[in-house]
Amino acid sequence: MSDLFFSTDLLGEFERLHRQIASAFAGFPASLRAMRSGTFPSVNIGSTDDSIEIVAFAPGLDPAAIDVSIDKGVLAISGERKPPGPEADDETRVYARERFMSAFRRAIELPPHANPDKVSACYVNGCLTVSVGLSEASKPRAIAVQ
Amino acid sequence: MNDSTELATRESRTDVASRESAQPAKQLARIAPAVDIFEDSHGITLYADLPGVPREKLNVRVQDGSLNIEAEAMVPSPSGLRLQHDEMRHPHFWRAFTVSLDFDVSRIDAQLRDGVLKLTIPRHQEAKPRRIEVSVG
Repeated sequence: MSDLFFSTDLLGEFERLHRQIASAFAGFPASLRAMRSGTFPSVNIGSTDDSIEIVAFAPGLDPAAIDVSIDKGVLAISGERKPPGPEADDETRVYARERFMSAFRRAIELPPHANPDKVSACYVNGCLTVSVGLSEASKPRAIAVQ
Repeated sequence: MNDSTELATRESRTDVASRESAQPAKQLARIAPAVDIFEDSHGITLYADLPGVPREKLNVRVQDGSLNIEAEAMVPSPSGLRLQHDEMRHPHFWRAFTVSLDFDVSRIDAQLRDGVLKLTIPRHQEAKPRRIEVSVG
Protein backbone atom coordinates (compact mmCIF):
# COMPACT_ATOMS: atom_id res chain seq x y z
CA MET A 1 0.00 0.00 0.00
CA SER A 2 2.78 2.36 0.90
CA ASP A 3 4.11 1.64 -2.56
CA LEU A 4 1.15 3.53 -3.94
CA PHE A 5 2.32 6.77 -2.39
CA PHE A 6 6.04 6.27 -2.68
CA SER A 7 6.22 4.62 -6.04
CA THR A 8 8.07 7.61 -7.41
CA ASP A 9 11.75 7.37 -6.77
CA LEU A 10 12.34 10.20 -4.30
CA LEU A 11 16.09 10.38 -4.58
CA GLY A 12 15.90 10.30 -8.33
CA GLU A 13 13.40 13.15 -8.26
CA PHE A 14 15.61 15.17 -5.91
CA GLU A 15 18.48 14.60 -8.28
CA ARG A 16 16.41 15.90 -11.16
CA LEU A 17 15.26 18.93 -9.15
CA HIS A 18 18.84 19.65 -8.19
CA ARG A 19 19.84 19.46 -11.83
CA GLN A 20 17.08 21.87 -12.83
CA ILE A 21 18.08 24.39 -10.17
CA ALA A 22 21.72 24.02 -11.08
CA SER A 23 20.96 24.67 -14.74
CA ALA A 24 18.93 27.75 -13.81
CA PHE A 25 22.02 29.19 -12.12
CA ALA A 26 24.39 27.84 -14.73
CA GLY A 27 25.99 31.20 -15.43
CA PHE A 28 27.21 31.73 -11.89
CA PRO A 29 30.47 30.43 -10.54
CA ALA A 30 29.88 27.36 -8.41
CA SER A 31 32.76 26.85 -6.07
CA LEU A 32 36.52 26.83 -5.91
CA ARG A 33 36.48 23.28 -7.17
CA ALA A 34 35.00 24.48 -10.47
CA MET A 35 32.95 21.29 -10.81
CA ARG A 36 29.36 22.18 -11.25
CA SER A 37 26.71 19.58 -11.08
CA GLY A 38 24.69 19.59 -14.24
CA THR A 39 27.82 19.79 -16.34
CA PHE A 40 27.53 18.03 -19.63
CA PRO A 41 28.76 15.41 -20.16
CA SER A 42 29.16 13.62 -16.83
CA VAL A 43 32.60 12.10 -16.61
CA ASN A 44 33.89 9.09 -14.70
CA ILE A 45 37.62 8.61 -14.40
CA GLY A 46 39.43 5.48 -13.36
CA SER A 47 42.82 3.96 -13.81
CA THR A 48 44.39 0.57 -14.22
CA ASP A 49 48.03 -0.42 -13.97
CA ASP A 50 48.69 0.55 -17.56
CA SER A 51 46.06 3.05 -18.60
CA ILE A 52 43.73 5.85 -17.54
CA GLU A 53 40.12 5.27 -18.51
CA ILE A 54 37.79 8.21 -18.97
CA VAL A 55 34.10 7.69 -19.67
CA ALA A 56 31.99 10.65 -20.77
CA PHE A 57 28.22 10.08 -20.64
CA ALA A 58 27.29 12.04 -23.74
CA PRO A 59 24.21 10.56 -25.42
CA GLY A 60 22.87 11.55 -28.80
CA LEU A 61 25.99 12.93 -30.43
CA ASP A 62 27.32 12.40 -33.92
CA PRO A 63 30.60 10.50 -33.32
CA ALA A 64 32.25 12.41 -36.16
CA ALA A 65 31.47 15.72 -34.46
CA ILE A 66 33.08 14.87 -31.11
CA ASP A 67 36.43 16.52 -30.77
CA VAL A 68 38.94 14.80 -28.47
CA SER A 69 42.33 16.41 -28.14
CA ILE A 70 45.37 16.35 -25.88
CA ASP A 71 47.37 19.50 -25.51
CA LYS A 72 50.08 20.00 -22.89
CA GLY A 73 48.79 17.20 -20.72
CA VAL A 74 45.18 18.34 -20.82
CA LEU A 75 42.61 16.12 -22.43
CA ALA A 76 39.71 18.08 -23.87
CA ILE A 77 36.40 16.69 -25.04
CA SER A 78 34.25 19.13 -26.94
CA GLY A 79 31.33 19.20 -29.32
CA GLU A 80 27.86 20.44 -29.73
CA ARG A 81 24.57 18.82 -29.01
CA LYS A 82 21.82 19.77 -31.41
CA PRO A 83 18.12 19.08 -30.92
CA PRO A 84 16.97 16.25 -33.18
CA GLY A 85 14.12 16.50 -35.64
CA PRO A 86 12.33 19.50 -37.02
CA GLU A 87 12.03 22.73 -35.09
CA ALA A 88 8.99 23.17 -32.92
CA ASP A 89 6.30 25.21 -34.62
CA ASP A 90 3.20 26.92 -33.25
CA GLU A 91 1.26 23.68 -33.23
CA THR A 92 3.77 21.95 -31.00
CA ARG A 93 3.39 22.12 -27.26
CA VAL A 94 6.46 21.63 -25.14
CA TYR A 95 5.92 19.86 -21.84
CA ALA A 96 9.50 19.27 -20.79
CA ARG A 97 12.86 20.45 -22.02
CA GLU A 98 15.38 19.08 -19.58
CA ARG A 99 18.01 17.67 -21.90
CA PHE A 100 21.21 19.61 -22.39
CA MET A 101 21.33 21.27 -25.82
CA SER A 102 24.31 23.43 -26.55
CA ALA A 103 28.01 23.42 -27.21
CA PHE A 104 30.10 21.80 -24.51
CA ARG A 105 33.71 21.39 -23.56
CA ARG A 106 35.30 19.49 -20.73
CA ALA A 107 38.97 19.44 -19.91
CA ILE A 108 40.73 16.85 -17.79
CA GLU A 109 44.27 17.26 -16.62
CA LEU A 110 46.25 14.09 -17.16
CA PRO A 111 48.99 12.99 -14.78
CA PRO A 112 52.55 13.57 -15.96
CA HIS A 113 53.15 9.89 -16.63
CA ALA A 114 50.32 9.68 -19.19
CA ASN A 115 51.49 8.91 -22.68
CA PRO A 116 49.74 11.24 -25.19
CA ASP A 117 50.81 8.99 -28.06
CA LYS A 118 48.78 6.06 -26.78
CA VAL A 119 45.21 7.31 -26.82
CA SER A 120 42.16 5.55 -28.13
CA ALA A 121 38.57 6.72 -28.06
CA CYS A 122 35.33 4.99 -28.95
CA TYR A 123 31.70 6.00 -28.84
CA VAL A 124 29.22 3.25 -27.96
CA ASN A 125 25.60 3.66 -26.84
CA GLY A 126 26.09 7.34 -26.14
CA CYS A 127 29.19 6.83 -24.01
CA LEU A 128 32.56 8.11 -25.07
CA THR A 129 35.37 6.01 -23.65
CA VAL A 130 38.86 7.45 -23.86
CA SER A 131 41.77 5.27 -22.87
CA VAL A 132 45.12 6.94 -22.29
CA GLY A 133 48.16 4.70 -21.94
CA LEU A 134 50.77 5.29 -19.27
CA SER A 135 54.44 5.57 -20.10
CA GLU A 136 56.49 2.45 -19.52
CA ALA A 137 58.59 4.00 -16.79
CA SER A 138 55.63 4.53 -14.49
CA LYS A 139 54.31 0.98 -14.53
CA PRO A 140 54.57 -0.87 -11.26
CA ARG A 141 57.46 -3.28 -11.30
CA ALA A 142 59.27 -5.45 -8.83
CA ILE A 143 62.86 -4.56 -8.16
CA ALA A 144 65.18 -7.48 -7.80
CA VAL A 145 67.27 -7.40 -4.65
CA GLN A 146 70.90 -8.19 -5.28
CA MET B 1 -5.51 -30.45 -5.09
CA ASN B 2 -5.85 -28.52 -1.91
CA ASP B 3 -2.20 -28.90 -1.11
CA SER B 4 -1.02 -27.61 -4.42
CA THR B 5 -3.07 -24.41 -4.22
CA GLU B 6 -1.74 -23.73 -0.77
CA LEU B 7 1.77 -24.28 -1.99
CA ALA B 8 1.16 -21.85 -4.81
CA THR B 9 -0.17 -19.09 -2.57
CA ARG B 10 2.60 -19.56 -0.09
CA GLU B 11 5.13 -19.29 -2.86
CA SER B 12 3.69 -16.08 -4.17
CA ARG B 13 3.58 -14.64 -0.66
CA THR B 14 7.26 -15.22 -0.05
CA ASP B 15 7.88 -13.74 -3.45
CA VAL B 16 6.11 -10.50 -2.54
CA ALA B 17 7.89 -10.29 0.79
CA SER B 18 11.30 -10.76 -0.69
CA ARG B 19 10.58 -8.26 -3.41
CA GLU B 20 9.45 -5.69 -0.86
CA SER B 21 12.57 -6.11 1.21
CA ALA B 22 14.77 -5.97 -1.85
CA GLN B 23 13.18 -2.91 -3.40
CA PRO B 24 14.22 -0.04 -1.10
CA ALA B 25 17.91 -0.80 -1.49
CA LYS B 26 17.51 -1.01 -5.22
CA GLN B 27 15.48 2.18 -5.55
CA LEU B 28 18.13 4.29 -3.84
CA ALA B 29 20.42 3.76 -6.75
CA ARG B 30 18.17 5.05 -9.50
CA ILE B 31 18.25 8.40 -11.20
CA ALA B 32 15.56 10.08 -13.24
CA PRO B 33 16.81 10.62 -16.79
CA ALA B 34 16.47 14.05 -18.39
CA VAL B 35 13.62 14.14 -20.89
CA ASP B 36 12.17 16.35 -23.61
CA ILE B 37 8.46 15.99 -24.27
CA PHE B 38 6.63 17.53 -27.20
CA GLU B 39 3.08 17.22 -28.38
CA ASP B 40 1.79 17.94 -31.83
CA SER B 41 -1.36 16.99 -33.71
CA HIS B 42 -0.09 13.45 -34.37
CA GLY B 43 0.80 12.60 -30.81
CA ILE B 44 3.52 12.83 -28.24
CA THR B 45 7.23 12.56 -28.81
CA LEU B 46 9.46 11.87 -25.83
CA TYR B 47 13.23 11.89 -25.83
CA ALA B 48 15.11 10.50 -22.83
CA ASP B 49 18.86 10.60 -22.22
CA LEU B 50 20.04 7.11 -21.34
CA PRO B 51 23.80 7.16 -21.87
CA GLY B 52 25.50 3.77 -21.94
CA VAL B 53 22.26 1.81 -22.08
CA PRO B 54 22.26 -1.10 -24.54
CA ARG B 55 18.98 -2.22 -26.11
CA GLU B 56 18.69 -5.35 -23.96
CA LYS B 57 18.96 -3.35 -20.73
CA LEU B 58 16.12 -0.99 -21.61
CA ASN B 59 12.65 -1.79 -20.41
CA VAL B 60 9.71 0.36 -21.52
CA ARG B 61 6.41 -0.71 -20.04
CA VAL B 62 2.86 0.60 -20.26
CA GLN B 63 0.45 -0.46 -17.60
CA ASP B 64 -2.82 1.14 -16.48
CA GLY B 65 -2.09 4.37 -18.27
CA SER B 66 1.36 4.68 -16.77
CA LEU B 67 4.48 4.62 -18.89
CA ASN B 68 7.57 3.26 -17.17
CA ILE B 69 11.08 3.63 -18.46
CA GLU B 70 13.68 1.52 -16.72
CA ALA B 71 17.24 1.11 -17.88
CA GLU B 72 20.71 0.21 -16.78
CA ALA B 73 23.91 1.54 -18.27
CA MET B 74 26.62 -0.93 -19.13
CA VAL B 75 30.03 0.53 -19.70
CA PRO B 76 32.76 -1.96 -20.59
CA SER B 77 35.74 -1.40 -18.34
CA PRO B 78 39.05 -3.20 -18.14
CA SER B 79 39.70 -5.46 -15.18
CA GLY B 80 41.49 -3.94 -12.22
CA LEU B 81 39.96 -0.51 -12.77
CA ARG B 82 40.13 1.79 -9.78
CA LEU B 83 37.53 4.54 -9.97
CA GLN B 84 38.97 7.90 -9.03
CA HIS B 85 36.29 10.39 -9.94
CA ASP B 86 32.65 9.67 -10.61
CA GLU B 87 29.91 12.02 -11.59
CA MET B 88 27.65 9.22 -12.77
CA ARG B 89 27.49 7.13 -9.64
CA HIS B 90 24.47 4.94 -10.17
CA PRO B 91 23.91 4.03 -13.77
CA HIS B 92 20.34 2.91 -13.13
CA PHE B 93 17.59 4.97 -14.70
CA TRP B 94 13.95 4.96 -13.83
CA ARG B 95 11.13 7.34 -14.61
CA ALA B 96 7.39 7.01 -14.90
CA PHE B 97 4.81 9.12 -16.71
CA THR B 98 1.04 9.13 -16.80
CA VAL B 99 -0.36 8.86 -20.29
CA SER B 100 -3.75 10.34 -21.09
CA LEU B 101 -6.41 8.07 -22.53
CA ASP B 102 -6.35 10.21 -25.69
CA PHE B 103 -3.20 8.41 -26.73
CA ASP B 104 -2.97 4.99 -28.25
CA VAL B 105 -0.50 3.16 -26.03
CA SER B 106 -0.77 0.04 -28.17
CA ARG B 107 1.01 1.82 -31.02
CA ILE B 108 4.00 3.25 -29.16
CA ASP B 109 7.13 3.30 -31.22
CA ALA B 110 10.44 3.15 -29.32
CA GLN B 111 13.87 3.72 -30.80
CA LEU B 112 17.15 3.69 -28.91
CA ARG B 113 20.06 5.30 -30.68
CA ASP B 114 23.37 6.45 -29.21
CA GLY B 115 21.95 6.47 -25.71
CA VAL B 116 18.86 8.50 -26.56
CA LEU B 117 15.44 6.88 -26.37
CA LYS B 118 12.82 8.29 -28.70
CA LEU B 119 9.23 7.33 -27.96
CA THR B 120 6.36 8.32 -30.18
CA ILE B 121 2.88 7.82 -28.85
CA PRO B 122 0.20 8.48 -31.47
CA ARG B 123 -3.13 10.02 -30.69
CA HIS B 124 -6.25 7.95 -31.01
CA GLN B 125 -7.87 8.66 -34.35
CA GLU B 126 -11.01 10.07 -32.70
CA ALA B 127 -8.95 12.29 -30.39
CA LYS B 128 -7.11 14.08 -33.20
CA PRO B 129 -7.93 17.75 -33.42
CA ARG B 130 -10.22 18.42 -36.34
CA ARG B 131 -12.11 21.26 -37.81
CA ILE B 132 -15.84 21.04 -37.71
CA GLU B 133 -17.62 22.33 -40.74
CA VAL B 134 -20.48 24.62 -39.92
CA SER B 135 -23.35 24.12 -42.25
CA VAL B 136 -25.61 26.97 -42.96
CA GLY B 137 -29.18 25.82 -42.51
